[in-house]
Amino acid sequence: MPYWVYSDDSVYRRELERVWYGPHWLYCGLEAEIPKVGDFKTTILGEKPVIVVRSAEDEISVVENRCAHRGVKFCQTRSGHTKDLLCPYHQWAYNLRGELMGVPFRRGVRRQGGMPADFDPSKHGLRRLRVELVNGVVWATFSEETPPFREYLGEKFWAHYTRVYDGRKLEILGYNRQHIPGNWKLMMENIKDPYHAGLLHVFFVTFGLFRADQKSAVDMDDTGRHGILISRKGAQEMNDVTADMRNFQGDLKLADPRILDVVNEFPGDETVGMITVFPSVILQQQVNSLTTRQIVPKGPNGFDFHWTHWCYADDAPEMKRRRQRQANLFGPAGFVSADDGEVIEMCQQGFTPSPDEEALVTMGGHEIAPTDHMVTETAIRGMYRYWREVMGL
Amino acid sequence: MSALTMPNDEPLSRARIRDFYDGYYDILDDVRLEDWPNLFTEDCLYRVIPRENFEQGHTLSTIQAESRGMLQDRVTGLLRTQMYAPRYCRRFPGPLRVTADGDGVRTRHNLLMVQTLIDQQPTILLCGVCHDRLVEEDGRLLLKERVVVFDSEMIANSLIYPA
Repeated sequence: MPYWVYSDDSVYRRELERVWYGPHWLYCGLEAEIPKVGDFKTTILGEKPVIVVRSAEDEISVVENRCAHRGVKFCQTRSGHTKDLLCPYHQWAYNLRGELMGVPFRRGVRRQGGMPADFDPSKHGLRRLRVELVNGVVWATFSEETPPFREYLGEKFWAHYTRVYDGRKLEILGYNRQHIPGNWKLMMENIKDPYHAGLLHVFFVTFGLFRADQKSAVDMDDTGRHGILISRKGAQEMNDVTADMRNFQGDLKLADPRILDVVNEFPGDETVGMITVFPSVILQQQVNSLTTRQIVPKGPNGFDFHWTHWCYADDAPEMKRRRQRQANLFGPAGFVSADDGEVIEMCQQGFTPSPDEEALVTMGGHEIAPTDHMVTETAIRGMYRYWREVMGL
Repeated sequence: MSALTMPNDEPLSRARIRDFYDGYYDILDDVRLEDWPNLFTEDCLYRVIPRENFEQGHTLSTIQAESRGMLQDRVTGLLRTQMYAPRYCRRFPGPLRVTADGDGVRTRHNLLMVQTLIDQQPTILLCGVCHDRLVEEDGRLLLKERVVVFDSEMIANSLIYPA
C-alpha cells in the first residue's frame, strides 16, 4: 500500500468526485434529529454542506446548503426549525423541498431592473439529493447511478444493519466531535482491522471486551467496500494469548466497575458489531454503546469525526444510563477511542514525508475473504480492491 | 446570599475557595494525576460536556464520572491503558463567581486549556465554563459536582488530560 494513497492531493480530489460524489450512499443523520415538519440539521457530505430537513410528515429532503443565486452557504446553524430556507444575502427564499419560491424585486422596482423575462424559478432551486430513510437513518447520494440502499449494502450487510437498526424508534443521547489529523481512509481501516484492537486497546484487552482469543469474525460484502467486526466479550484472564500482549494488565482493577456492567440485548451471543458502511460512516455497537460515527474529509491530511450517541426510544432509564456510562469508552476522550485518534495522527506523520514507501497489509495472507478470527487485515485489502476499481488506479 | 455580601469569616470564605482552585489547577498542570480524585467527594458527579449537548438537554458527556472511583479509573486509564503522544497541558481559569446556597457553595468560572505537542505550536484544546459545587467534609473543601461545558466545536483530536 503506497503511502501517497493517504497524502496525495490529486488522489484526494479524485476521491471526492468518484467516491464521495459518486455512486455511494452517504450518512446524513438520524431521523430522530428532525422529528417535526420544518426541523432541520446541517451536515457536510464529502466537502459539500447540505441541509437535512423534514419537508413533510413522511418526507425528508437533503438539499445543498448553497444559494442558487450567489452560492452562499446560507444556513449557518447546526440545527433548528424553520418554515422556509432563506438566504440572508438577497433574501432568495426556498421551500423545505428546496424549490425557489421568492426572488425579491424579480420584476424590478418601478419598471427598472429585475430578472429577465425568461427567468424560470423552477430551474433555480437548491440542488436536491436522492434520499433514503432506512430504519431511522437518513442516507443521501449525489449520483443517479447509486443502487437502492438495500442493494448497496447487499443482503448479508442488510442483515448486519437490521440487527441493530431494526425499525425501533431511536432517540439522541448526544454528540461528540473531533478533528483527527489523518487521512479519512485510516478511520475506515481502523474499524476493518481487528488485529490492532487486541493490542493497541489495552483497556479492551484487559477487561476482555475485545481480545484476540475471543470467538470473532470479519465479514465483508461482495465488493469488499463494507465490513464488520464481530466479537464476543470474554473475561479478564491470563492465558497463552494475553501473554503475547506486552501491555496486558492482568492485575488491573476498576475502582467503580459500573462502566463494565454490560447486558446482552441483541439476538445471538455476539457483543460487538462494528460496521463500516463505505465511505462515510461507522455504525458502532460495542456492548451497549450505540453510535454513528460520520466521517467528513478535510483534504488528504485530516477529517472531522462526528459521533452521534443514541438509544432506543423505549429504553428503560437504567439502560439509557448504561449506554451513557459506556460512552466513556468512546469519543475524543474515550478509554479506547482516544487511542485510535492518536495512532491515526501518528500514521499520517509517518506517511506524509515518504509518499513512495509502502505499508504492509498482509496479516492473514493475501486473500480477501470473510474470516472467523481476528488476526487478519483481510477487510482492509477488500476495501482497497474496491477503491482501486472506483478510482481507476 | 450573594457572592459580594458573603463575609470573609464564613467557613467557606472566598479566600479558601480560591486556594482550593489554585491547588486544583496546580495538581492538574503538574500532572499529579493520582492526587486529582481526592479533590472530589466519594459520590461526586464530574462531566466534561459539549455545549451543544448541554443546551439541548442531553447529558451525554465527553468525560463522565459518577463517583470518585470513576475518576480514579480515569487516572488508571491514563497511566496504564491508554496510548497517546506526550504533551504539555496548561489550564487558565478565569475570575471566580461564587454563590452560596443551602448545599455548600456554587462557583462558576471560565476555563481555557492550552495543549502543546512535541514540535508544534500550542493550541487551544478546550474553551469553556465550569459550573461547580463545593462542600466541606472533615474540614476540607471538596468538589461534589463539576460540570465543564465547552464551546470547542471540534476537539483537536484527543482530550487526554482532565479539565
